[in-house]
Amino acid sequence: MEHNPPQVHKFPQDSYVDALRWLPQLSTFSRHVLLASYDSETSTPSLQTLTFSPSETAPSLTPQASAPAPSRITSLKISPSPLSPSRALIASATFSGSLLFLSADLINGSLDLEFSLPELGFHSGPVSAIDLNDSGSECVSVGEDGCVNLVSLSVSKGFRRVYDSKGLVSYSSVKWASPVEFVTGAFGFGLHWWDQRKPGGPVALFKDDWTKGSASGIVHSIDIHSSRKHTCVAGGSSGVVFAWDIRRPKQPVMLSGVGIGNAPAYSAVESDIWEVHYDNYTHSSKMSSSSSSTILPAMICSEDGILAVIEQGEEPTELLAEPCAINNFDIDRENPSDVICSLEWESLAILTRRRA
Amino acid sequence: MPGVTSDSGEFNSLSIVPHSLETQTPRVYPLRTRRAAPPFGRVSISWARGNTLRVSLLQPEGADSDGEVVEVNLTNAEGGEIPEAQRRRIAYGSVTPFALLQSRKNPMDELQYDKTWWVHVMEYSNEIKSLLGASKSYITPTIEDPKALLKDVEEPTSLKAAWELMELFYADKQSQTWIPERLLDWLADFDCLLSATQPTFHARLVSFQKALVTIQEVENYPEYWEVMSSALAVGWLDIVVKMLRLHGSYQLDQLGTREIESGLVEAVALLISQMPRLRPHISDEKLGECYSTKPEFMKAWEKWRTQITKLDCHPYWLQCDHKQTRVGLKNMIQIMLGNANVLSNATYHWIELYISHLLYIRPFTVGLESMYTLAQKCMHLKPITNQHKLMGLLIGILEENTEVVLAECSRSFGPWMITHAVELLTAGSAQAEMLLHEEQSKIGGICIEELHRLIYAQILSSHALTWNIAPIYLTSCMKQGLGLLENLLYKQPVQHHQVLLKSIEICRLNGIDYVSRHMMKIAGVHYWKHGKKGSAVFWLQQAQDEVRLNRIAKHLFDFVGKSVSDESFKQWEGMIELLGTESKTAGGLEFLKRYRDFRRSLQQVQDGITTDDARKTSEALISLMKNPSTPQQFWLHLLYDSLRLLNWKDHPLLNVSQTNLLLNKLQELSLARLLPGYVDADLPPEAFKSVRRALATNLGRAILEE
Repeated sequence: MEHNPPQVHKFPQDSYVDALRWLPQLSTFSRHVLLASYDSETSTPSLQTLTFSPSETAPSLTPQASAPAPSRITSLKISPSPLSPSRALIASATFSGSLLFLSADLINGSLDLEFSLPELGFHSGPVSAIDLNDSGSECVSVGEDGCVNLVSLSVSKGFRRVYDSKGLVSYSSVKWASPVEFVTGAFGFGLHWWDQRKPGGPVALFKDDWTKGSASGIVHSIDIHSSRKHTCVAGGSSGVVFAWDIRRPKQPVMLSGVGIGNAPAYSAVESDIWEVHYDNYTHSSKMSSSSSSTILPAMICSEDGILAVIEQGEEPTELLAEPCAINNFDIDRENPSDVICSLEWESLAILTRRRA
Repeated sequence: MPGVTSDSGEFNSLSIVPHSLETQTPRVYPLRTRRAAPPFGRVSISWARGNTLRVSLLQPEGADSDGEVVEVNLTNAEGGEIPEAQRRRIAYGSVTPFALLQSRKNPMDELQYDKTWWVHVMEYSNEIKSLLGASKSYITPTIEDPKALLKDVEEPTSLKAAWELMELFYADKQSQTWIPERLLDWLADFDCLLSATQPTFHARLVSFQKALVTIQEVENYPEYWEVMSSALAVGWLDIVVKMLRLHGSYQLDQLGTREIESGLVEAVALLISQMPRLRPHISDEKLGECYSTKPEFMKAWEKWRTQITKLDCHPYWLQCDHKQTRVGLKNMIQIMLGNANVLSNATYHWIELYISHLLYIRPFTVGLESMYTLAQKCMHLKPITNQHKLMGLLIGILEENTEVVLAECSRSFGPWMITHAVELLTAGSAQAEMLLHEEQSKIGGICIEELHRLIYAQILSSHALTWNIAPIYLTSCMKQGLGLLENLLYKQPVQHHQVLLKSIEICRLNGIDYVSRHMMKIAGVHYWKHGKKGSAVFWLQQAQDEVRLNRIAKHLFDFVGKSVSDESFKQWEGMIELLGTESKTAGGLEFLKRYRDFRRSLQQVQDGITTDDARKTSEALISLMKNPSTPQQFWLHLLYDSLRLLNWKDHPLLNVSQTNLLLNKLQELSLARLLPGYVDADLPPEAFKSVRRALATNLGRAILEE
């Protein structure tokens, strides 16, 4: 158990934070953050990079570069460019149904639009979620309209429709599992497993048999760990977090949830879980004890203001309890002790976890 | 009555929130369009959320774009003392202390209430105060500049000044015995706010501070002595002593020649720093000796006054050669002895004169009544044409007129202030509590406290980022709160998925499931209209709205591929997954699931299976045909697709009564075909006949079998 409370620094913003990500790290002294924010006074959405200077007493977060966005951002993903670490590829999906690709130059402090897919013909209505693959060459997008699109970032820039449910299914989240497979989340706690080698529809479906007729919900976020590509962890309504192993599709593992099926005794939250990520920090601290069948620890943030780490068969570890919703969070890839999250009340919090 | 308009038959009398119809100069708001450009074919204007207008610009045919919808914010761009973002931050921050205080009200019994309530209120007040601006942090630099009289601190806001005023008079029971001293501290912090429009000592001190840098031999300047007397009069003793030490006689080279002078200056400085103060404690950088009880203070006061008188009559004065020093110091002694004329000359604003009177003439003043009389006298001596809003509030408090306090709070400091300051007011005055909690028939039977909360909640509701804190205030309103909360929730835009989920969460927290069910219905219909059939079914199912599910089922079935061989049926799988288990409401859509299962087993029949499985499939066919929710347009398809079952070669799969049932259905269908509006199935023309033939054969075989 982590007994040391994390160090928390809050940074009030004068705008609503729609999404955020850590950018690749250049040095330990200067770190960068990407924000998608919405200024309510001028009704303008924008993307901006900020420089974070960590310090025990007075850390600071200063704006570096910004770029306008045509509409509010629904999803943000980052891919470090392997050739030049100071540049990062940014994919951002919008509420109006377009997809923007930007590149951030962290040394010279610029943020430029590389190319974008226009609203018309791409998705009708909001793009719910996107995911960039590891190499940054392909981006999968899903929308409320029920389309699954695959955008190629290589030489020929364009997209191809993988599937169109004609509105019969609305997708809410997506995550790559392997270079050819990805998982989508939908209404009714549904998860669909897709394999590009088998076109025409999902290759496996997961449905919420375990709700036993009580309230159903929506999957808001999915994560897949690079070391266990067959298992995905999903979080959604009513504080539900479950893991689904494609090899055992009928046996989901409940990690959290209230009043639903075989929910575990302890639940971190009762309201919507907005985002879920595997937590490498907690994982590495107890590497020895975990067998390959247990679900790796995951971090969640929720509408009722909880940021917590949940582990199979253990009580959740609360990192932050706020009076307002925590809408997004991101764990720094290179420095998993650091977590950034956005609060409903126009503010950011950066947490630094310390070993006991 | 504050905040309520008179019932004079104007249209204003119908609105809860009063607004003035003062004619203002028209303002021009530019439209920022991205695509559309004039000329416009049609323009339509409607209200959006809060102070925003939604302008729809439609372009005439043949233009590059169809048009555009833009929003125009009508808020005053220049803003007030506090910027909008800061205002929102205050609103966010005050939610938790407010909610905590409300939750503490309920379980408290009467006796405990009187004793400890103010402790909770003070905790609340301190939390709120911390939002209104950082408390002055005195960071003493390592090398102090002897000439720096004023510290560089952040300009305080009048909102904070008003809050502190309310706190010290109403909430803080500990300060009741030393209100004059509290008021002195308050003025020291906020005198600068008055400087903007009125003559104050603070303004004088600021200008002297600037001049001081260049002045040598400061004691020769009359301004030096004037500023010092004023500082002494308003009780800023630390500044006085600091200034006295700038006196030339302290210079090393002058010590020998100006011994007497230096002695007198030091004697006055010593007396000032030993001034008895009727207060329990004082911060380190302030001067004076504290006495918390009155008898002790009285004794010390008498002694101190005797010392001053003694110094006043001392023969050393005659030996003091420096005239300015002699006159200046004597003047300061007069201030300490409470000479009314000197005090009046030394102060600028009436509140400064008031403080000086409380300090030097009537240090034993207690009770608001006598404080008010004194304030009136000072105002009379130093009349001011335009009263500062803080002074208006102070006078209201001193004259113990709750109506005036409420009116000043709401008029000058806005709905946030009044909503939150009411807690201080009710904690401190029984009369105010009665007035605020009494149900008023004029405003529809709600009390004034509720009225102000409702107004504040309305303002929060009108902003896209603060609407979700309005429920906290609405749920604390006993009479109208719930109704307005429903209104607020119904008005949220359902097309924003996240907003919908946040609204449903608010319903869950407040136990108003019927509202969330309504919202889910609204969302369901919205998604249905926009072709998002899956989301529509999901939300209608969550709302358990069987009527609408049945209705949309009818439309949906038209699109379902009805033949087993139809590959397009696969895309319905996702939707069927959504329908979930049996016990969940699916309305007419329930059929889709049974149909899917039937198709699966029928598919196996095509692939060739055992008789047992075929029997099971035919059972499924019967139950499908029996079920009233199976739509008529599927009947013929179901039967035609099952021809192989009906003609099962080993022995008939259906018994007599089952076959009769199917024949009856077929009969019903043939009658329906005659009605207008029947859409013929896209089946081969002989389909009907072959089904009838198969059923007849089966009936014959079944009769023989039995």
